[in-house]
Amino acid sequence: MCARSKLISSLSLGLTAVVIAGCASSGVDRPNGIGAVEMRPDDKGFVQGTGIESQDIIAVTDKMARGLLAVPEIANAQKAPRIVLLPVKNDTRFPFNKDIFLDEIMALLNERAAGKVRFLARDRITELEKERDLKRTGQVTSTTDPNIQQFKGADFMLTGKLVGQTTKTSAGTSDYVLYSFELIDPNTSEVIWNGSHRIKKQGQTDAAYR
Amino acid sequence: MKLFLLSVVVCASALLVGCATTEPASSGTANAVPTKDLVLWEYRDGVSHLRAGRFAEAKRTLDEAITTISGIRANDKSAKQARGYFHKESKKTFLGEPYERVMAYYYRGILYWMDGEPDNARACFRSAQLEDSDAEEHTFKSDYVLLDYLDGLASLKLRQDGSDAYKRACDLAKGLKLPAYDAQANVLMFVEFGNGPEKYAAGEYGEELRFRDGHSLVRSAVVKVDRDEFPTPPYDDLTFQARTRGGRVMDHILANKAVFKTSTDVAGNVGLISGLVLATEGSGDARNAGIGLALAGALSKGISALTTPQADTRYWDNLPQFLSFTAFKLPPGDHEVKVEFEDASGRLLPQYTRRVNLHIPVGARDSVVFVSDKSTNF
Repeated sequence: MCARSKLISSLSLGLTAVVIAGCASSGVDRPNGIGAVEMRPDDKGFVQGTGIESQDIIAVTDKMARGLLAVPEIANAQKAPRIVLLPVKNDTRFPFNKDIFLDEIMALLNERAAGKVRFLARDRITELEKERDLKRTGQVTSTTDPNIQQFKGADFMLTGKLVGQTTKTSAGTSDYVLYSFELIDPNTSEVIWNGSHRIKKQGQTDAAYR
Repeated sequence: MKLFLLSVVVCASALLVGCATTEPASSGTANAVPTKDLVLWEYRDGVSHLRAGRFAEAKRTLDEAITTISGIRANDKSAKQARGYFHKESKKTFLGEPYERVMAYYYRGILYWMDGEPDNARACFRSAQLEDSDAEEHTFKSDYVLLDYLDGLASLKLRQDGSDAYKRACDLAKGLKLPAYDAQANVLMFVEFGNGPEKYAAGEYGEELRFRDGHSLVRSAVVKVDRDEFPTPPYDDLTFQARTRGGRVMDHILANKAVFKTSTDVAGNVGLISGLVLATEGSGDARNAGIGLALAGALSKGISALTTPQADTRYWDNLPQFLSFTAFKLPPGDHEVKVEFEDASGRLLPQYTRRVNLHIPVGARDSVVFVSDKSTNF
């Protein structure tokens, strides 16, 4: 067999081998998965969208907590004012756990200014009234007179609202969310303090999904 | 020598063609679901749970699906592969066509309202309407009647202005009269009936995604309680929504794949035939050229065989055909609500009748009821 023929034969066999190898359907991305990794809540994860995410909650509640501590009625109060948390209102297109914002603000205020404010557990009022009734009927003991009204009234009410605006075109999706929080005097309905934060995000999904 | 070379060429061609494997069909059980099909199974399970009254499970599975579909999928490897020549579209993670993603949000919105969260319900209806906003023709963008209607009703319940959303819904209702909002209505009935559209592939290589009409013996429903009757006509039609979405960007990609497949197949045939003729009939350089041509032809045939333009026909197969809704006021206490389903000529179909025992508590919270012609909890 001449050299040229040997070369051509070798190339043919080699090409066949390469094609067969190329057909092997390996190429499975991360076949062993990704181990769970603890992250900072204010870090962006690898799952992202244009909606409300943990780093947004951290940024917003941090700003609101700092704003609240600077309110003169709180900073200069002789006695720790008592605050009731009202549910946050959602006027965006993103459903979310509404308790998380106020719970996060409450936690930050307690961390940074223990004793400066007190929160009233109005969301537990049913259970609290039940306990008080048990004391009043003598079914359980009490260290104080249960017949005296001891539930505290609110000095202030803290609430919030999220409002969103969305644009979607062939170029992608853009979401703008305005986070606003208010501290309200329940006696006068006066808004003692108002804080806000704005976040805008945009992105475009892969063509395979358009 | 000639025979040896010819054998190599033929073997190479056969191996290349044989390497074009088909994807194994997904197993029918949720436990064996590939990750790329997980959302599809979450959709199916979610609505099954909802129809069986297993609301906690329905919330959990729909939340998992929505977590996946709500992100911006950019730099996604499986999507990139699906766009490539050598992977099927079904390689990508299933998210569903817009009408399917709409329904995931719609059902989740109902569940939020059941839990006394009309604002989160409204958020779901808004996200759903946004999913429908990239239809090719402007007329069919965000054109679900109920999504706008419910957006406005939820706003009214939240002491906000729902009139704009109501007007949009009326404009979309095309001849069907939408009842005016009643802020006092404390019972919200979500009704659905029929079987939704089916996907199939058409075209020479199955590169065209098509929809078969859904079908429904039931064409309307009536809700009866005490002495009152509340008609629930089909405000939204999922077959209409599926068909009117128009062309996808992916359709163009698949069409290009089909063209590539055809052209490499034709080139392969030409190369193989002419190369083999040259190799067997020619001598010296002509024979060598023939061998090279035949090999190139075989390679081209192999590439053509490996090219996969097939459209992704995975679909949410337990969706309804029609969506409806009604709202009314009931005093506190126990009531029996009867939902009767009718055919196209208004004849009662008693086999679908559902009876709901409703307890209306004292208080401001709405009682939300979901009834399907496939409900198993009534």
